[in-house]
Amino acid sequence: MIEILLFSPIAAIGCVLLFRSKIVNTILTVLYAVVFLIISILFCFQPAQFTDYFKTDNLNILFLIILAIVYLGVTIFNIDFLKHNDQSRKSQSLYTANLFLFVVSMIGVILSTHLALLWVFVEATTLSSSYLIYFSHSESSLEATWKYLFICSIGIAMAFVGIIFLSMGLGNADSLFFEDLYKNASIINPFWLKISFPFIMVGFGTKVGFGPVHAWLPDAHSESPSPISALLSGTLLNAAFLGIIRVNKIMECAQMSWYSHTLLIVIGFLSLFVSAVYIISIKNYKRMLAYSSIENMGIIAISLGIGGAGLFAAMLHFAAHSFTKAAFFLTSGNILHRYHSKDINQVRGLLKNDKITGWLWILCFAGIVGLPPFPIFLSEFLIIKTMFANGQIAIAVLFVLLLTIIMAGIGKAVLRMSFGNETLLNNPKSYSFLVYLPQIAFMVILVVIGISMPVFVYNIIRNAARFLSI
Amino acid sequence: MINFIIIVFGLTMLYISSTIRIEGYIKALSIQGFLLFFLVLLDYDTIILPNLIFLSFETLAVKAIALPLFLIYIIRKNGIFREVEPSVTSMSSLIITSLIFAAGFYISYWSIDAVSNIRPFYFGISISTIVAGIFIIISRKKIITHVMGYMMLENGNFLMALSIVKEMPFIVALGVLLDIFIAIYLLGLFVNKVQDEYSEIHIDTLSKLKD
Repeated sequence: MIEILLFSPIAAIGCVLLFRSKIVNTILTVLYAVVFLIISILFCFQPAQFTDYFKTDNLNILFLIILAIVYLGVTIFNIDFLKHNDQSRKSQSLYTANLFLFVVSMIGVILSTHLALLWVFVEATTLSSSYLIYFSHSESSLEATWKYLFICSIGIAMAFVGIIFLSMGLGNADSLFFEDLYKNASIINPFWLKISFPFIMVGFGTKVGFGPVHAWLPDAHSESPSPISALLSGTLLNAAFLGIIRVNKIMECAQMSWYSHTLLIVIGFLSLFVSAVYIISIKNYKRMLAYSSIENMGIIAISLGIGGAGLFAAMLHFAAHSFTKAAFFLTSGNILHRYHSKDINQVRGLLKNDKITGWLWILCFAGIVGLPPFPIFLSEFLIIKTMFANGQIAIAVLFVLLLTIIMAGIGKAVLRMSFGNETLLNNPKSYSFLVYLPQIAFMVILVVIGISMPVFVYNIIRNAARFLSI
Repeated sequence: MINFIIIVFGLTMLYISSTIRIEGYIKALSIQGFLLFFLVLLDYDTIILPNLIFLSFETLAVKAIALPLFLIYIIRKNGIFREVEPSVTSMSSLIITSLIFAAGFYISYWSIDAVSNIRPFYFGISISTIVAGIFIIISRKKIITHVMGYMMLENGNFLMALSIVKEMPFIVALGVLLDIFIAIYLLGLFVNKVQDEYSEIHIDTLSKLKD
């Protein structure tokens, strides 16, 4: 089954580049997305393995399902996006081919059982997504792509240094398979393990978009087409984070969780701080969503750092953030289509001009800042509760304070954009219902998880959290 | 012999930090490629044959010859001004790089107690090269010098990976994957000229996107 996921896109890419037709592009992407979703649901019931290097386990199945659902939603949105896009057929085919490569490399990151292989796939995600970011071929998208490639490549080089340090510490037990690393964690030289973790955390963290190394993220998210922003934020950040989580588990197995947890909490708060500083006076709504991604990755880092019930909260937050943020970015694409501007001050009266987009925009806002009944409320509540239970009152206060600032920043922009009486003069027609469908589906999923979590979903999240606690 | 080569490798970094001519950078990068090639050859008894052939090809043909030639070609073609335009003076740049190397040596001797199977020189020089490469990226203004800084960083990575070539031969080969990025940057700069997207390749042109 895994081989179908990994190799069928090669044939699809061949077809896409050969036919260069919009219909072929659309059919193949949606078909692959449906197959991907079905296969990943099957994996929940029946673990799969392909060679020693690709395997599902309790942790990565959660990430795989998130990726499959978000990808399906994005491809459905993509149908109308490509239909009304005026780039040449060659560019569109290249876009589709790169989209396939991008999703396959993310599947590779998620399923790989070997640290070095995971690193290779993280590099592949960088390479394959750069054309997607550059898709509009404008000067600003070129700038965003260059920054993305350059900053992420330095991050990837740093992660490589971390992997070398880890290998140095391994001594004679020279295997970088995660299972062997967990097993041999106690014999890894603590000196090298301690140097390697910050390098790997900052290296992969560059792709996650943590605090001070986030510079590429707002640019890339705001300049890429909306379906790609949704994929970058909803799935790529998760995939890169998986690398950190796996290495963090090595630290826990080596009885050095105090060290990795402290670092995770520090970088998490740095991310929250950066996000709060920029978001309070933001002018571009796509950049606002990008900073919100930084914030949410910071929240997850903090909840991994506090441990205990925080692990469950982190896993829930991954799922909730991905769906909410994907819906948010896709909706921002609809706004951009209608108003032709990313400037918050240019957008007024969203509810009046396009009712569905307006309501989706408000609902996404409620979802991302953690208002009930959305699941981010549950995860953030659980995180704060764990902090109090651990006696980390100061951390909890700072956490709530920063979240409130960010909520105020996003709320100010969203409410200003949504309400008002201005009517758009030349209001373009909506594409079709397909540009609303994925967001509505994501919202339904989120509300269902938030109000009464199905046992099936609960089990997946709980198993992932249990996998992390040793 | 190995130690001598590694010291010369470190000296090239000091040279880079003090020179203001772009040709100096290219020459130093080429020398680094040759030095890495010799290091690979000197380790012939610990590296398996296919890996040895691959690594010698990579260091000699790619790092020492092809990339520097391509850099010279790009500079001529794009008409890039010959000076690197540092944002700090070359004297302070040299001092900072020397401090980075001093710190690198300090760390390597400090770590010698912790681990026995690592050659400290490798570790000290390579970590300093990585940090110095980042410093070059930060302190120079031209995009092409950014790419060269990244190449130095990557050479440092390669040197560090060489120190564990015996235990994990594939790690060194993996590091070569980072060269793909370099190829993309150089091709990007090359194509950039053709498309005439920017009038001059300078990081100041990359300031449209900000908050």
